[in-house]
Amino acid sequence: MSDYDVIVVGAGNGGLGAAVTLSRKGLKTLLLERHTVPGGSATTFCRGRFEFEVALHQLSGIGTPDNRGPLWNSLKKLDVLDDLEFIEMKDLNRIVIPGVLDITLSTDLSSVMEELGERFPREKDAVSRFFKLVYSYAFELYSYFTNPAAGADAVPLVKRYAFKTAQQVLDEFFEDPVLKAVFGAYWGFLGLTPNRLPFSYLAILFFSFIEMKPCHIMGGSQALSNALVNKFISHGGTVRFNCAVNRILVKNGSVAGVETGEGDEITARYVVSNASKVSTYVELLDREHVPDEFLKEMSIKTPSPSGFCVYLGLDCEPEEIGITAATNTVMNSADLSDNQYNRMRALDFDADTDMAGFSCYDVADSRFSSEGACQVSLLTLKYADPWLRLPPTRYYAEKYRCADAMLTLMEKVCPGVRDHIEEVEVATPLTFMRYLATPYGSVYGFNQYAKDSLFMEHSRETPVEGLVLAGGWITDCGFETTIKSGISAAGTIMRSLGAER
Amino acid sequence: MKEGLIQQFEGYGEVARDIEVCRKYGIDYTLEKGSVEKFINRLHPGRMTLRVADIIEETPLDGTLRLVPEDGYLPPFQAGQYITVSLETGNIRTSRPYSIASPPNQTGYYDITVRRVKDGLVSHHLLDGVKRGDVLICSGPAGNFYHNPLIHDRSMVCIAGGSGITPFMSMIQEIVDCGLDREVFLFYGSRTLEEVIFFSRLEAIAGRFPNIHFHPVIEAPPEEYEGLKGLVEGRFIRDVVGDPAGKTFFICGPQGMYDFCVPEIENLGIPRKKIRTEAYAPAAPVSNQPGWPENISPDDRFEIRIKDGKVFSARAGEPLLMSLEKEGIFVPSECRSGQCSRCRVKIISGKVFQPTGTPVRRSDRRYGYVHSCVSYPLEDLEILI
Repeated sequence: MSDYDVIVVGAGNGGLGAAVTLSRKGLKTLLLERHTVPGGSATTFCRGRFEFEVALHQLSGIGTPDNRGPLWNSLKKLDVLDDLEFIEMKDLNRIVIPGVLDITLSTDLSSVMEELGERFPREKDAVSRFFKLVYSYAFELYSYFTNPAAGADAVPLVKRYAFKTAQQVLDEFFEDPVLKAVFGAYWGFLGLTPNRLPFSYLAILFFSFIEMKPCHIMGGSQALSNALVNKFISHGGTVRFNCAVNRILVKNGSVAGVETGEGDEITARYVVSNASKVSTYVELLDREHVPDEFLKEMSIKTPSPSGFCVYLGLDCEPEEIGITAATNTVMNSADLSDNQYNRMRALDFDADTDMAGFSCYDVADSRFSSEGACQVSLLTLKYADPWLRLPPTRYYAEKYRCADAMLTLMEKVCPGVRDHIEEVEVATPLTFMRYLATPYGSVYGFNQYAKDSLFMEHSRETPVEGLVLAGGWITDCGFETTIKSGISAAGTIMRSLGAER
Repeated sequence: MKEGLIQQFEGYGEVARDIEVCRKYGIDYTLEKGSVEKFINRLHPGRMTLRVADIIEETPLDGTLRLVPEDGYLPPFQAGQYITVSLETGNIRTSRPYSIASPPNQTGYYDITVRRVKDGLVSHHLLDGVKRGDVLICSGPAGNFYHNPLIHDRSMVCIAGGSGITPFMSMIQEIVDCGLDREVFLFYGSRTLEEVIFFSRLEAIAGRFPNIHFHPVIEAPPEEYEGLKGLVEGRFIRDVVGDPAGKTFFICGPQGMYDFCVPEIENLGIPRKKIRTEAYAPAAPVSNQPGWPENISPDDRFEIRIKDGKVFSARAGEPLLMSLEKEGIFVPSECRSGQCSRCRVKIISGKVFQPTGTPVRRSDRRYGYVHSCVSYPLEDLEILI
């Protein structure tokens, strides 16, 4: 007799989605989390009078009252909708290239086309043709995945664009590099520059944000993680924080349980691993239980970038320093080629070449921070490699040097921001590595080149019977998909149990 | 079926070739086994095994433990940060945070200076029970009380009380050792002259480095004492520092010092954001804290029921964390002053007192999570650990 039916390793979005679903079905479930609070990336932390959002910039898939999205449906299944308040954002993105461009795109399709048409009159028609493509492509994707029997000719756009990069498609439609950069600016949410990023992801992002509107969660993403843990507990689930897992135990080719960081063995018939796929196969499972083919399949994938983030608690309202949109991208030029990609591999941040995004949730909802205050999360993507090579004694100096350069870039849009900083915290790729325990501190799982993209058959099979994966390393990254991956992991277990009976 | 379809997509050949090449020259992730932990431990080890290399008597009340690493490595830290010592004394497994008094530019050892606390549980153990050669289990350096070059002025006014001098000792030593472009005005409040820790070292540094200014403020000085007397008043600061604008204020000491000094500094026209305070647990008795209910005495006792566990009785005036530890229930803890949320537990039913300003996440509040190191039972409780 096992101690538990299922042990879930990690209380990130994937682990929580699985844990809530399994406990709701009456399975005796244990959720183990190495950190003090649940959420993984979906978390907040406090400094002074501020509670900083760590990861969530724009939540996709909630939808509007008459057009509910996939995340809404997932959260409905998890029965946490009553515990959450979603705030719809008015703007898609404010994109600034100092001296060249300052445009704020709204979340309404006709307005976006109008705004772009006004700024790029010569390409007005191209803009509307591009959005037409984005929409038709999104619909075709849907029919492709729901009805593959119809064949490739039923989805001519998918057939044509599936393996194109975002840049190839932007080049096909537009002349002005600045306009291309406006569309490409969202690459920061996806981890690959437009010349490497499959067009599909950019198309899905625009379709989803415009059709279903970007949102934020009152209380930050921690409100979501806490609501899910609360639901799990109310279903009789057991959760242990500050409890790392050292090993996943295997007996006769099947999962037998886990060994915790304290050396305790806990047995279970199933294990859901919300640790990264790399950690699960390399750290948690003994080598003898992972056949070479699984490592081979994983070897073609590369870890996504990590991040460098400056969290600012400001003693002013957003408009006082010129923050007018909740989501902002600041670039020094329209060049989003490998020049920009390579900057992710450098340690330093260059305020005159690099780009960064910043979110100010208080624009979407003034209740986010206390009165007369607001918070900003200023983010750029960086690979961890140069940080790993840095001697530890130089760590703090480099961290502040990079953060300082990020502030210099932000000042180009928000002059005087430095005078209003009341609290500041800096997260480097090593910080993300520390709290997420992902290889190279990756924040988006594996990179999604065309060869890794949604069209390729991703095997959900794991090397060990009874072991199921959940989270951003087995799916496209983001809140919507990771939560869904947890629900799917639970489904796999329920099906396996059903087959047994 | 989908496999058959994608082969008809434009560009499939190239993608297939990519996969083939990557299968040949891809990443062997097994070579990196253990690397995440190793890299993180260079900066933020969860746990360090340190040996007491020396015990230095500083004052009749204070002793410094010089700690060296068992494995030869100590992580760098930011001057002002602390480590938490875990220990067992009188059959109670507990922990205490101590600011590192030695500077971060050398990581051969960490110094922690311990002041004997009247009726204290841990300080006597560390000062009397621990010998040279003993091993202490500590957390990695942590804490948010340090000079942040992004927002703090190069000119610092530091106000220390009692053993609250330790983070400043680390900062000052780093400034003079590394020749940092910073200026320090240190006001060090102490009950008596004998209880001033690092007196001669601080005097020597201030005598030699023009950017370090040392001003002890003695509450009960000897009759002939010519220095500043009483508490650290705003007028002392104004007289010494001149125009306080363009300076960042740092305070570290017992709660009474914050209660007195913060308003004094604010009266000098200093905005709150220029005043940085080290975290502190409320001074006993906690019933003196604003918001404590009148009808409850710190000696009242309430029943604590742990879900699926023990039931015991606890004093209202004792932090929940401490009561749990006394019952032999281990809850991990680090800052023990409400900041780090390591000792977070869920209150299923019943009310606790939490001092105003304790930084608890909004959604934690909603679901009853508290930082048990600064939570005091006001009713019978059921809790989830």
